[in-house]
Amino acid sequence: MENIIEVKNLTKLYKKKKAIDDLSFDVYKGEILGFLGPNGSGKSTTINCILSLLNFNKGNIKIFGREMSPNAYDIKRKIGVVFQDVAVFEELTVYDNIDFFCGLYVSNNNKRKKYIEDAINLVGLQEFKKYYPKQLSGGLLRRLNIACGIAHKPEIIFLDEPTVAVDPQSRNNILEGIKKLRSDGATIIYTTHYMEEVEMICDRVIVLDKGKIIAKGTTDELKYLAKIKEKITVEAKEISNQNLNQIKQLPEVQNISYENGILKISYENEKNNLENIIDFLKNNQIKYRKIYSERPTLNDVFLELTGKELRD
Amino acid sequence: MIVYKTFLKVLNKCKFPIILYSAILLFFAGINMSSNDNTMDFTAEKPNIAVINNDKEEGITKSFLEYLHENTNIKDIKNDEQEIKDALFYREIQYIVYIPEGFSDSFLDGKNPQLEIKSTGEYQSELADMIVERYIKVAKRYRGSTDSDEELFEKIDETLSKKADVEIISKMDTKTITRLTRYFNFSAYSFIAISIYVISTILFIFKSEKINRRTIVGSIDYKKVNAKLLIANSGFCFIIWAIYFICARILIGEVAFSTYGIYFAINSLIFVICTVTLGFFVSHFVKSRNTITALINIIGLGSSFLCGVFVPMEYLPEGVLKIAHVLPAYWFVKNNELIGSTEVFSGDVIKSLVINAAVIIGFTIVFFVGSNIVTKKKMKAE
Repeated sequence: MENIIEVKNLTKLYKKKKAIDDLSFDVYKGEILGFLGPNGSGKSTTINCILSLLNFNKGNIKIFGREMSPNAYDIKRKIGVVFQDVAVFEELTVYDNIDFFCGLYVSNNNKRKKYIEDAINLVGLQEFKKYYPKQLSGGLLRRLNIACGIAHKPEIIFLDEPTVAVDPQSRNNILEGIKKLRSDGATIIYTTHYMEEVEMICDRVIVLDKGKIIAKGTTDELKYLAKIKEKITVEAKEISNQNLNQIKQLPEVQNISYENGILKISYENEKNNLENIIDFLKNNQIKYRKIYSERPTLNDVFLELTGKELRD
Repeated sequence: MIVYKTFLKVLNKCKFPIILYSAILLFFAGINMSSNDNTMDFTAEKPNIAVINNDKEEGITKSFLEYLHENTNIKDIKNDEQEIKDALFYREIQYIVYIPEGFSDSFLDGKNPQLEIKSTGEYQSELADMIVERYIKVAKRYRGSTDSDEELFEKIDETLSKKADVEIISKMDTKTITRLTRYFNFSAYSFIAISIYVISTILFIFKSEKINRRTIVGSIDYKKVNAKLLIANSGFCFIIWAIYFICARILIGEVAFSTYGIYFAINSLIFVICTVTLGFFVSHFVKSRNTITALINIIGLGSSFLCGVFVPMEYLPEGVLKIAHVLPAYWFVKNNELIGSTEVFSGDVIKSLVINAAVIIGFTIVFFVGSNIVTKKKMKAE
């Protein structure tokens, strides 16, 4: 696969504290790379360093095989950025905002007009072209923020937590839009602390904590890192202590918990677990309302690697 | 082009304060243009006098009375001491002449009979005194030059009837030039207010942290974007200057395009350059949109009241004018006043104008350097 971004030994210090600690990774052409980590893990700092918005203390960043610098305008031309904070002019309409930010890359008026229309269609703001930002809801504002960052049809797009505090409809719209951008050929670097989003759209994931990469790979590869392979939840009002002890002794069971009528069983293996527990419940005449099986989530992986949850 | 286009769109959303500051200029200029105009018109004045004649109305006395009728306004006052005093006190008359009994005979006999005079001592009484003195002097000169009294009176009359035509040599239209001076004085407030408002507002919006970051990651050199904003802001202020100059032509007339108008225009152009740099300097200290209004009030109104923009300099206390020396508006108004009061732009006048303009340029350099220092400090901090 073609390397489009190469980051080697990137280190950024804030005073004496390491915000990024010896980060090395590649971004491949056409993929959606997820940067997953809790707040303060170094996701935004990494992006700002890649974009030359921040100086860094050590390391090397190459984009399209060339050194990235604040004056590398030919590289910047191919990059789109959607920052975490909405950055638009309150004094301009939706259309004019996109026009300005697209105009920083595309000088041809006719070409720009088409690009603006494409961006508006992509984020679903067709009905709001003449609206001012003040008149938009939080979700629509986020969509405008995205349109401003991607209207010039960049080859690489950085999306820094674009779905923070948006309604489900806008979130779905944004995620669908991102998938569409990828299918149109863009390479996307997507930072978030929402693991569901990463699982939904990312081809590869880099998990960051305290400025360090603690894991990277596809979502399946990461999940494989977890000791737990399957989680089964049983909603049963009454399970005796004796039965709970018996469940603990079942094959492949790693751990169990029973609280407020909900039994959670973690397995080290994913073979026949559901069948075994159903048999057990039936044989011991334990009544249950619901039983379901889940695969481990990235949160489980993160929990296992760091001892804390992603949203801690 | 996109930077200029967006500049205009943002400016369009901020147009009302700009219109307001311009309306203030036109409103105040309009009010002042219609009051207290100085003129150079000349009309000979006739003083109000009274004559108490104790002589017979014949001979030289008759001739003298006719002369006084022609050259003064003789009021009918009773020969009563109290009434005469009241008339003088209430300025009904400024001067009274008592002609003694036998004045004519005595004068024609070659004697010097004395006229009794009372006056208020004011300008008009001095004028009346000059008129009386003139008659007596002429009459004395011709006395004895002829045997016939009639011939003597004719000669006196002929000499005194010669009037000097007073022609104002100055071609200076002071009334209009005073209007122009006031107009340009008032423009100081509008120039300061608009420069600070436009530049601070535009830079506050374009340089807000979020927008700035997005602009920096763009493919246009960030310095070029800044340069375009600088050109757009400065250009707009110069357009405002040009509009105000055209307004001066419309409101005040052709004189705006005369030598005076050109001097006023150059002076105001130098001042606008200064207010533009002031605007850039001040914009560094703007933390919110409300701060901009506060800065306009402090700097714009403060300068205007201290430097004779709203109240003419001659009415301002010396202490205030001393403080005003540290403000560019003072030197701008000082130059306007000098231009407005000059009839011939001699070397000395031009030298004074250049010195005042140089002080304004000095302020411009200070604001420019100050602005650069603040920018560099900010960049270092980032």
